[in-house]
Amino acid sequence: MTSEPHSWPRYAKEITDPALAHEKPEALDDLRVLDASSGNFAALFASSILAEFGAEVIRLEPPGGDVARLFSPQGVKHRGTGLAYLVEARNKRHITLNLDLPAGRELFARLARHVDVVIESAKPGQMDAWGVGYRQLSAANPRLIYLAFSTYGQFGPRAASPIPDYDITDQALSGTPYTTGEPAGEGTPESSVPTRQGNWIAWYIGGGWGAFAALTAVIWRATSGQGQFIDCSPAEAEMRFTDYDVHWYHAARRTRERLGALNVSVFPYTLIKTKDSYSFIAGFSDINWAGLTNIIQRPDLKERFPTTKTRIGESKLLHRELEGWAANLTSQEVLDRVQDYVANKRGPGTVASARLNRPSDTLAESHWWERGVFEKIEDPDYGELLLQAPPWKMSRTPPRIKWACRPVGADNEMVYLKYLGLGRERLRTLKAEGVL
Amino acid sequence: MTESYFDWTRKLFDRARIFDKPEALRGIRVLELTTLVLGPTTADFLGEFGAEVVKVELPPGGDTMRYVTPEATYWQNASLGFFPTNHSKYHVGIDLHAPEGKELFKRLAAKSDIFVENFRAGTLDKWEIGYRQLREANPRLIYVADSGFGQWGPFSQGRASYDAVAQTVSGMIGITGFPGRPPILCGIFVGDWFGGLMASTATLVALHHRNKTGEGQFIDFAQSEGLIRSLDWTWVRHGLTGQDRGPAGNRDEAIVPADFLACRDGFVALAAGRDEEFQGLCVAMGNPALAKDPRFATLEVRQVPANAEALLALIRKWAADKSRAGLEGLGEKHGFACCRVANAEDRYRDEHLRERGAVWQYDDPLYGPMVEQGPAPKLSATPGRMRWAAKPVGWHNEEVLTRLLGLSPGRIKQLEEKKVVGRWADRPGAKPPDEWLKAHTEPKEQS
Repeated sequence: MTSEPHSWPRYAKEITDPALAHEKPEALDDLRVLDASSGNFAALFASSILAEFGAEVIRLEPPGGDVARLFSPQGVKHRGTGLAYLVEARNKRHITLNLDLPAGRELFARLARHVDVVIESAKPGQMDAWGVGYRQLSAANPRLIYLAFSTYGQFGPRAASPIPDYDITDQALSGTPYTTGEPAGEGTPESSVPTRQGNWIAWYIGGGWGAFAALTAVIWRATSGQGQFIDCSPAEAEMRFTDYDVHWYHAARRTRERLGALNVSVFPYTLIKTKDSYSFIAGFSDINWAGLTNIIQRPDLKERFPTTKTRIGESKLLHRELEGWAANLTSQEVLDRVQDYVANKRGPGTVASARLNRPSDTLAESHWWERGVFEKIEDPDYGELLLQAPPWKMSRTPPRIKWACRPVGADNEMVYLKYLGLGRERLRTLKAEGVL
Repeated sequence: MTESYFDWTRKLFDRARIFDKPEALRGIRVLELTTLVLGPTTADFLGEFGAEVVKVELPPGGDTMRYVTPEATYWQNASLGFFPTNHSKYHVGIDLHAPEGKELFKRLAAKSDIFVENFRAGTLDKWEIGYRQLREANPRLIYVADSGFGQWGPFSQGRASYDAVAQTVSGMIGITGFPGRPPILCGIFVGDWFGGLMASTATLVALHHRNKTGEGQFIDFAQSEGLIRSLDWTWVRHGLTGQDRGPAGNRDEAIVPADFLACRDGFVALAAGRDEEFQGLCVAMGNPALAKDPRFATLEVRQVPANAEALLALIRKWAADKSRAGLEGLGEKHGFACCRVANAEDRYRDEHLRERGAVWQYDDPLYGPMVEQGPAPKLSATPGRMRWAAKPVGWHNEEVLTRLLGLSPGRIKQLEEKKVVGRWADRPGAKPPDEWLKAHTEPKEQS
């Protein structure tokens, strides 16, 4: 086959365009997942990933709904459900069950015989004490993959800690906020502190690792026939991402500190103020630095600061130089100058830049809409919703959103009938007894 | 079931038994042609769970991450930035601009299950070693193309990207930090790391599909799109209300109370979203009546911004003269979440993390004792593991070219002389430690 370089983007789009996803098969349509987590968006993101790829996810909430439906900015609700939950309920069936009651736990154990993956976020040992932990469920279903989320994990000196799992505490333990934010004394007293990411990044990382681990277990089960227990701490999940921080302590007993918009290893890899906003700009290897000094027409800086070491040593001075250059340029003009140099190969080196986006700026860019990154879903129960779509483009088994959310207990009849043979009368009784 | 739960879990997950257990991805080979963090982690995570990872680098300099190390200071001639993304890999140096290099590379791809690259869109297609070419020889291949903006679409062509570009364009920086202050970068390369995790997760999905059908496939993953996915309620709120999310400091706008608190010896994070947790916090504060205050009694009233600010002011004041450990202890006792804002030393010295292998110690034949962040999820039957540390450029040339392609040592030597196959530059980041070089200096011509 001869290659036609110019047609690569066209070809890549042709084979991965998410607009055509519904015409293609789903990779995980042979998996059934029971997500019994409580107020935990790591667990919810894990089951979202599996649901996006086609698994049948049964989301189990206590009667009245999970507290996750209440975690919403300013407490805003849409048709009774908080905004965060509307994002992570996609493609999931919703049932209710009261695990505080023995009858509820018995039904849970029966449901768990029919599924491939159970997800929970109870305090470690809680499900086991109730007789519905991995030890008990796996006896009846040895192929079961059991994924449990908690801050400190299921084993180790602090595993018995009764604290609930939250994104903010997971972020704190991970080490990321310690190295994020304005250095002491450089900003206001209020802002010169360790700083968390604005989104629930630890929960999203934790959920990603949970789904990843469950998938490795599914692959192994195909040959071994055995399920297993997965212990996932979102704090440790994010810890795995803390660059070389522990390595540096090990090698040199150095602890990485906050540097605001600078980086301890390279320069420039930074945010600079422009005429109308801020821009990120990078050109940190020697050759890319040469490119950047060409763009800003300051060959003298290349001569004076030829190595990474010399640039890091004077990064504050160089940061001021870059801001001086950008002071009379808009962020778009900064990007245009960078792209003119890079795209037209006007000299050596590659430079990257980007305008600092508020979310509304991102939503205004056609690139993301063309690629199906955002979708306006017409949900039968919740109406029109703007959602971020699954982030993968795949040629054979693309992920997709089928529906956004379901009301509390909306699938009780279907799920309990299908898996446990419980008819309408029986469900009515269970509901009256507070079990559903 | 007389054994206590925690005695049972201790044995079930015992770190000392990890190497006696099987690996989920045993028998899967990953070929990577990647640099920096996004691409290498995509392969690395698969390697942690048993895949064999062959890392091809362009000799003699190799992966750019070999030159990203704190304060530009190298350790035993290695970049500290190169270790966390490259575990237990086989390092091969091949010049892909040479036709013979391309041939070698294609033969490796024909013997691989997964290929990961992070060049700018279309680069490998132009080099004739892209998806269209590789799948001809190996239709079972799962081809993962990592990038900043994707393989197609208006921003995809000719635009360079790094982690922080993704942080910037996704809106993540725009919703982080304190209102009215200059924007800050995340302390870690979060867009790369999260992206690597997302890409490797999709790879497992593709592997599952291939196990059923025999079909490989193409995966286009853009790190900016990974971060957009992670911005929780940002987009849905915009769609429903038109509100543009901005930075809100450290407090969580959706869970109240949840904030960072300055205390006597550092910072802690505290959260008590559920009402019973909040009641516990009020008891810990010596003010149980606070839990009945109409401004604070339920999560829904605490979420009202004015109430949240009033409550957090009280909590900040209460915490200021306490210690980190004291506050953590109160959380344990009263059932709310309170954890230290940990730094690298805290984690390095943490017995809990050591016992769990979240801080992973091992003895590398070239670098000696290594301490790193270990595999994230803990699996009872097929636990992840790290075997050896990243190695200099071309370290495993013979091992890989002999074992996988059946080349003789003489043939490899010829290829090295023609500079098709290569090793490290004489430069920190690329080369072995001085000790090793001293011990392995070949005696001058003596045949």
